[in-house]
Amino acid sequence: MAIIETKNLTYTYPGATKPSIKDVSIKIEKGEFVLITGPSGCGKTTLCRCFNGLIPHFYQGELKGEITVAGLRVPERQIYELATHVGMVFQNPENQLFALSVEKDVAFGLENLGIPREEIRKRVDWALKLTGIYELRERTPTELSGGQQQRVAIASVLAMQPEVIVLDEPTSFLDPLGAKRIFEVIYELNRKLGITIVLVEHRLDLTAKYADHIIIMDDGKVVLDGEPHEILSSEEARLIGVGIPKATRLYQILKGDGIKLGGKVPLSSDEMAEMVREALKRL
Amino acid sequence: MSFFDGLRFRRVSSPVHNLDPRIKFVYACVIFVVAILFWELLPLIVLFVMQIPFVIVARVKREWARSMRGATFLASIIFFINFIFSFISSGYVVTLSALEHALSMTLRFVVLVESFSIFFLTTSPDHLGLALEQSHVPYEFCFAFTTAVRFVPVLAEEAQTIIDAQKARGLELEKGNFLKRVRNYIPILIPLIVSAIRRSLELAEAMESRAWGAVKKRTNLYVLKLRRGDYIFILLTIGILAAAILVRLYLRIPRLEEILTGLA
Repeated sequence: MAIIETKNLTYTYPGATKPSIKDVSIKIEKGEFVLITGPSGCGKTTLCRCFNGLIPHFYQGELKGEITVAGLRVPERQIYELATHVGMVFQNPENQLFALSVEKDVAFGLENLGIPREEIRKRVDWALKLTGIYELRERTPTELSGGQQQRVAIASVLAMQPEVIVLDEPTSFLDPLGAKRIFEVIYELNRKLGITIVLVEHRLDLTAKYADHIIIMDDGKVVLDGEPHEILSSEEARLIGVGIPKATRLYQILKGDGIKLGGKVPLSSDEMAEMVREALKRL
Repeated sequence: MSFFDGLRFRRVSSPVHNLDPRIKFVYACVIFVVAILFWELLPLIVLFVMQIPFVIVARVKREWARSMRGATFLASIIFFINFIFSFISSGYVVTLSALEHALSMTLRFVVLVESFSIFFLTTSPDHLGLALEQSHVPYEFCFAFTTAVRFVPVLAEEAQTIIDAQKARGLELEKGNFLKRVRNYIPILIPLIVSAIRRSLELAEAMESRAWGAVKKRTNLYVLKLRRGDYIFILLTIGILAAAILVRLYLRIPRLEEILTGLA
């Protein structure tokens, strides 16, 4: 059963003349690692806001079409109701932490839900350990690096035990190493806990290898939707200006020159290295 | 960043820091009341000296000294006004009792600053917010308070960035007379306000996404519980108040004149 399903979803922000997303019909299965990408301003963020009800409840505006998340019809439910099913992590780590200690921030959502204190304590410790920031629990957010702050943000949605975690360019404020760590944490949540991940990201070099499903958007529409190897090796993806992983690109160039390394298109440099090694052995 | 350093709360742990904030607040209020009960110099000096051990135990000497230094300007104004008035009312002669009166009024103010600065220097904003919450202040206000404290350093940093950026474009802040200088800050204030508004929108979005307002009665990860130290401290506070009232009612407090003549 699909955990997120949209049918002909079209949305216009209040005061805007044209819709930000048009006729979006996608299906995200439970437990998938989905990567959404596309040029800036293509509607990725708008689509994410629909997943947890910020659109239409917080932003108002005009929403047409259908959207169901975890079996709930989004326009008919409150944001806080959806928040227990869909966790949202935003771009700027600084603007999603409110409390004066990490621990308190992770507890924020649970406190809002009125969960008993002992249970909060248990879940907070669990989330802190899973994201590897247990030692930081008493620090103030301002003392932390961007990467640590973003992990706090992930822990704070994780503590609410959602079925889906949506991350909207969570690493655009981070350095490459910090970004890599965040992706590893996310991947672990996906593999170990089976949480469905929807990741909006430009850095496909680092993330494509984790994805089971890639959605590419352009100008408010979904242009490509499917299996990563297939999509990233397609000509359209390159023309839209998606940051195709360098390994994939190299494979294509070599193929164009008549050198075929293997049957499968590589998505990461590790995969590429493995293929080159294989090819060298065959020589 | 040196300018904004004073706004940052340092997490220190000491017996005074660990006391319940509500009780510390009651203590500061009691000291305030006691200071008003007396207009003689001697008890006010006792009150001032009595609080110094707290400062030492709490290890906030430097911060405390800074806030006391900050109070000197107002304190000297209070002293001069009181002195001049008693000087005039006593027929343009400088008397010892006029001097005592002015001095004790000043000391009263200093004691007030002292006790409240101990309160604020040893109470983390976190604790303060929690104390507000458990004193049945609506959660929205407590949240606004802690969030404001949380964003002070963030906004300070942002202000510094904007100042640097505008200076790099040739803005001269220290130029011109007073009015001109105030006006120089407009190109800094406007971007700062705009970004603060944008930030608040993002914050609201993040709050909504974490089930803000889901239930009427929200729970809290922390609870303030009175411990042994708190009970001792509250007994001490009650003791101070009782002793002060008894002294006020039944003891004649020697004036400065009498002490001096007694010494001579």
